[in-house]
Amino acid sequence: MVITVKNLVKRYDDLIALDHFNFEVKEGEIFGLLGPNGSGKTTAINCILSLLKYDKGTIEIYGKPMSPDAYDLKRNIGIIMQNVAVFEELNVYENIDYFCGMYITDKKLRRQLVEEAIDFVGLRDFRKFYPKKLSGGLLRRLNIACGIAHKPKLIILDEPTVAVDPQSRNNILEGIQRLNKEGATIVYTSHYMEEVEEICTRIAIMDKGRIIATGTNDELKGMINSGEKLTVEVLKLEHGILEGVRGLPNVVSAEFYDNLLIVKSTKGKNNLVALLDYLKTKNISVGKIYSEPPTLNDVFLEITGKELRDQL
Amino acid sequence: MVAYKAFFKVISKNLTVLMIYVVVFISLAMALANTYSPAGEASFIDAKVNIVFINYDEETEIVRGLRGYLEKNANIVDISDETEKLQDALFFKEAEYIVKVPKGFSEGILMGETPQLESTAIPTSPSRVYMDNMLNKYMNTVKAYITTMGDISHAELVRLVATDLEEKIPVDLIDSQLELANNQKRAYYFNFMSYSIFAVLILGVCTVMIVFNKPDLKKRNLCTPVKIKHMNLQLVLGNISFALLTWLVMVLPSFILYGGFMFTTKGLLYLVNSLIFTIAALSISYLVGNILKSRNAMSGAANVIALGSSFISGVFVPQEFLGSTVQKIASFTPTYWYVKSNNIISGMESFTAEGLRPVFLNMLVILGFAVAMLSMAMVLIKQRRVSN
Ligand SMILES: Nc1ncnc2c1ncn2[C@@H]1O[C@H](COP(=O)(O)OP(=O)(O)OP(=O)(O)O)[C@@H](O)[C@H]1O
Ligand SMILES: [Mg+2]
Repeated sequence: MVITVKNLVKRYDDLIALDHFNFEVKEGEIFGLLGPNGSGKTTAINCILSLLKYDKGTIEIYGKPMSPDAYDLKRNIGIIMQNVAVFEELNVYENIDYFCGMYITDKKLRRQLVEEAIDFVGLRDFRKFYPKKLSGGLLRRLNIACGIAHKPKLIILDEPTVAVDPQSRNNILEGIQRLNKEGATIVYTSHYMEEVEEICTRIAIMDKGRIIATGTNDELKGMINSGEKLTVEVLKLEHGILEGVRGLPNVVSAEFYDNLLIVKSTKGKNNLVALLDYLKTKNISVGKIYSEPPTLNDVFLEITGKELRDQL
Repeated sequence: MVAYKAFFKVISKNLTVLMIYVVVFISLAMALANTYSPAGEASFIDAKVNIVFINYDEETEIVRGLRGYLEKNANIVDISDETEKLQDALFFKEAEYIVKVPKGFSEGILMGETPQLESTAIPTSPSRVYMDNMLNKYMNTVKAYITTMGDISHAELVRLVATDLEEKIPVDLIDSQLELANNQKRAYYFNFMSYSIFAVLILGVCTVMIVFNKPDLKKRNLCTPVKIKHMNLQLVLGNISFALLTWLVMVLPSFILYGGFMFTTKGLLYLVNSLIFTIAALSISYLVGNILKSRNAMSGAANVIALGSSFISGVFVPQEFLGSTVQKIASFTPTYWYVKSNNIISGMESFTAEGLRPVFLNMLVILGFAVAMLSMAMVLIKQRRVSN
């Protein structure tokens, strides 16, 4: 086990930021910690890194207790903080060299690693730039380069894509997957479920300082009732048809607006076929048809009763 | 030594501001060196000092000889020997220097002893050094004849001394007048240096400490396998190197301006004194750097601390002109003791353990400041770590 967190409790005065928080990260995973703003992701990361004192619980990394002086453990961790932490007075190269130098003392090896990191995040054209001159996205990439240059076994990224343009975002997500393929275990926090769904091999969803569900993408979706969302384009819907659709087996809800019939159904086979058959018997001609599997938002919605999106 | 290197990169990115202080200081030092033109003979005659000569001894040949010598080189004014009147005379500058010949003075000299002439003077008066010098010369010459020629008559002794001194005096006096001016300039150079060093250190040290103490960067550094102790040590080493470098840059012009003088005892005393002051200024800057959070507060602090302490400690205005309350407040800054020492060093003619005592004591006081401020900084850093 790479990370084991058990019964972690963290209070800020009377606010309980982490409430008996549990999770495990296995070797080789891209572990996603998904939660709305203020759910405690950063607090959890800071506790794991021993940057914060906590009230209760145990944290182990590679089977050893993590503490402020666990320097051997720190050596193997790459950290990308939510707030960009670089020196304004150092340029791109010097910043990466500084942080890499905290881990790697051999100068020749370091130079090579720094160059690799620069290429990895695509900052070659900007290596002499100072942070002030970098756009938000490039700055985030620099932040990442500073965290991964020493090729750590465990990489923790706290919302590395916040306020980033789509190009940088793709660059970052691809990079994370590449690091994982090269053997690093990744912990990734985000409030963007699409990102988490896209790259994470296992996901923990958290809300108000608690983990409310853990599993792979499919496992999480398997936990809930809602199966798929069917969208059918129809020109007109006669009176009573909507009620008829709602009466079909497995259907949870049906709405009609803007010429779109949206049907949500629980898991089951042939939901789409059943719906289309029914419409055919009523002589309703259909246009485009979509079928979408449930999203993590549906998972969040079903467990907490609120939209993940609304929290953003 | 990654943090040590980063220390200097951060400093060098902010070098412009620091250089302003250095350039201003060096130009002022240069200007100071060139403004004073040495006094010629004509102006020297005008500059004859008013003195009071009081004799408690018999009217011996030796006393008469001494009076004659002083008459030639100073104006003897007639003021009766009453404490109050003498004090008034000094206060209203009717006389700048009072020489008292003690009872048994002539007798003592002939016995081969070294009886002391008593003298009183206005403390700030430049004539004091000049007159001390002149009397020393006289006494030394007398002593030289007595020891070499043994049983010599009073009259003969006085005559020999007089002719001897007459030959040398004009040259010596112009020299010493020039020396006097240079002496003041050097003291001023080193006094003023305290302001520049203080300002540069506060600005430089604060700049770096604020950067490394930024919460995000600090957290990030805490994630690395470099021990906190090592990290702090590197920063402290950076600070010390920076302070030494600043000191070197600041004293360098003195070697160019004053040349060989800097290798005399006096020159070395100035150097040691300024180095010790630099240590205290560094430790104060380190404390301030750990308290401040923003750059804006930094230039304010540099002004208040460096300029303020210099002002009340007599860097710009002689210490004697400052009120006693101001001086009392100033004594809570190392600058005050530093300037005080410089003034003592400047007035020194010979370097005896006795004479140097106050200078060394002041140095100890300055070092005391350094230790106190550094301990405060340490306590502060420790407390912060615990409170997290
Ligand atoms: N230093 C602090 N003092 C008091 N409360 C804090 C502190 N830091 C965080 N909190 C509170 O703790 C809760 C969790 O914050 P945290 O930053 O861990 O959330 P997060 O999931 O990282 O959010 P985001 O997505 O915005 O980064 C929030 O309610 C926040 O207001
Ligand atoms: Mg956060």
